[in-house]
Amino acid sequence: MAWAAKQGVGLSATMSPERGLDWLNLFVGNIQTGFGPFIAVYLTTRGWTQTSIGLALSLGTIAAMISQMPAGALVDTIGNKTGVVLFSVLAFSISALLFAVQPVPLAVYVAEVIHSFSSCTLGPAIAAISLTIAGPAMLGLRFGRNARFASIGNGIGAALMGACGYYVSERAVFFLTAALTLPALLPLLPLARLDYRGAPAGGHDDAPTRRGAPVRLLRDRALLTFAVCAMLFTLGNAAMLPLVGNALTKTVGGEANLVIAACIVLPQLVVAAISPGIGRLAEASGRRLVLFLGFCTLPIRGLLFAMVTDPILVVLIQVLDGIAAACLGVLVPLVTSDIAGRSGHFNLSLGLIGFAMGIGATLSTSLTGWVGDRYGHPIAFASLAAIGLAATMLVWIAMPETRTTRRLLVQNSR
Amino acid sequence: MIVASRLQGFALLVGATASLLMIAPGVSLAATGARETPTVLLTQGDTPTPAGAPPSSSTTPTAVPQAPKNLEPLAPDESTGVLGKKVVGPDGKDLGLVVDVVVAADGHPSAAVIDFGGFLGVGSRKIAVDWRLLRFAPGRPDWQVLLTLGRAEIQAAPEYKPDAATREMVGPPWEAPPSTAVHE
Repeated sequence: MAWAAKQGVGLSATMSPERGLDWLNLFVGNIQTGFGPFIAVYLTTRGWTQTSIGLALSLGTIAAMISQMPAGALVDTIGNKTGVVLFSVLAFSISALLFAVQPVPLAVYVAEVIHSFSSCTLGPAIAAISLTIAGPAMLGLRFGRNARFASIGNGIGAALMGACGYYVSERAVFFLTAALTLPALLPLLPLARLDYRGAPAGGHDDAPTRRGAPVRLLRDRALLTFAVCAMLFTLGNAAMLPLVGNALTKTVGGEANLVIAACIVLPQLVVAAISPGIGRLAEASGRRLVLFLGFCTLPIRGLLFAMVTDPILVVLIQVLDGIAAACLGVLVPLVTSDIAGRSGHFNLSLGLIGFAMGIGATLSTSLTGWVGDRYGHPIAFASLAAIGLAATMLVWIAMPETRTTRRLLVQNSR
Repeated sequence: MIVASRLQGFALLVGATASLLMIAPGVSLAATGARETPTVLLTQGDTPTPAGAPPSSSTTPTAVPQAPKNLEPLAPDESTGVLGKKVVGPDGKDLGLVVDVVVAADGHPSAAVIDFGGFLGVGSRKIAVDWRLLRFAPGRPDWQVLLTLGRAEIQAAPEYKPDAATREMVGPPWEAPPSTAVHE
């Protein structure tokens, strides 16, 4: 064990930062799928009532929403991004252990809040490290690779935890998550050697001298438009898969779980396969085009789900979900870095986008539940498709191309 | 450099503590929520904590100065808590978890709400089944609730929504239903 750890440390010390970031994304993806889906079942097996579980989960959601922007601002002020990742990953592990050891209410609430807050610091910190490593011209490709490895990590994590929950116990899932945070620390070694403050010529995302007032950035039209687009997209997207799952349990019967699993896994595979290509396309043909393509899939998917009930077709339609997820996964950090990468408020801006998407996701669930109860599944899918259409049109009408903006800034700063 | 990173760590901790402070109202809410659970169980024989569930600190908020005089034993091999217990079908296959108990006006349980199926939390749904369809075996280690229903009947059952105006449960198949209407 100690030998293996030593070998691992030796190996990771010789790793290039590029590779290190790949592995970091994979391991973080691993723990980020994590125990979230198991919380409700685990607490139920521990005799928690549905009301108290709902309270604990809402607390986590609210904590995640309100910490998005403060967490982003905090990450902006910290030069050592690997330190942020280290603390966030350790916080994940503490949160998992709090759940596992003694799920009394106070421990669960504290764990939920720690979990939410560290999710909000982890993503932006990894994006900021990517900015440092890749440099402006290669950024699309870098975020494509991030999305690929995160998706592979998600898939492996989901498989491990699912098997663990099924064959061992729900509680073991939380211990497994805590254990899986350890390999996530190894890739930090090659990344820690990078200097995030001694920025090369032209300044970096967090060069303190270039930091302007955050208020001015938050009034930036492109950033706000992007936030509204992202919110609308999530509003139409977040409840779609749960609704598919709900519809499948009624139409498919015995094999529903298998079909639902396929509906979750297939998009992950698509993301892993096409993300680097999406990043390349965003560098070659511009952000607007890729964003538009990704958004287009949502109204199409909603309409198809409204008409199709055959399980095989339903799974195939989920390829569209993978395309959208790959586009969003690459473009959210990419467009944000175009707009705010050199303002010193990159992470704050990512937090803003995350906040907007959080609002969209929360509203999406309640809206879809309400429409679904009243008018049935097809109408619910059609409403999600309509929201997706509105989001797509907004991208087409209002979203500026941000790639040139960044190039201009690069030139200005040189 | 080291000092700087320590400071940053401290900043993170301050952030975490600040968010902890925010949940204080949530904690007090939880305490009241936890107290609600035993009051329902009182009709079932003064259970302070559901048997099988670990003693949780929140169920004993204050030290009771004197024990009530009419104490009756709850033999662990004859009684049990049911919330969160696994439910299996006649074939022994895992079906879901008991998440709620619906009681009639007289306090007797009329239905169990069971959370069925799903993968990673997607596609699970709750249905209510008649209490008489369930078999319990307290006393045996690792016992599970046995539901005497076929998979087809479970899948055809309507979803249980606690706030809905009309709620239905799956009744027993062996008799003409005297009251399949939901007990309020």
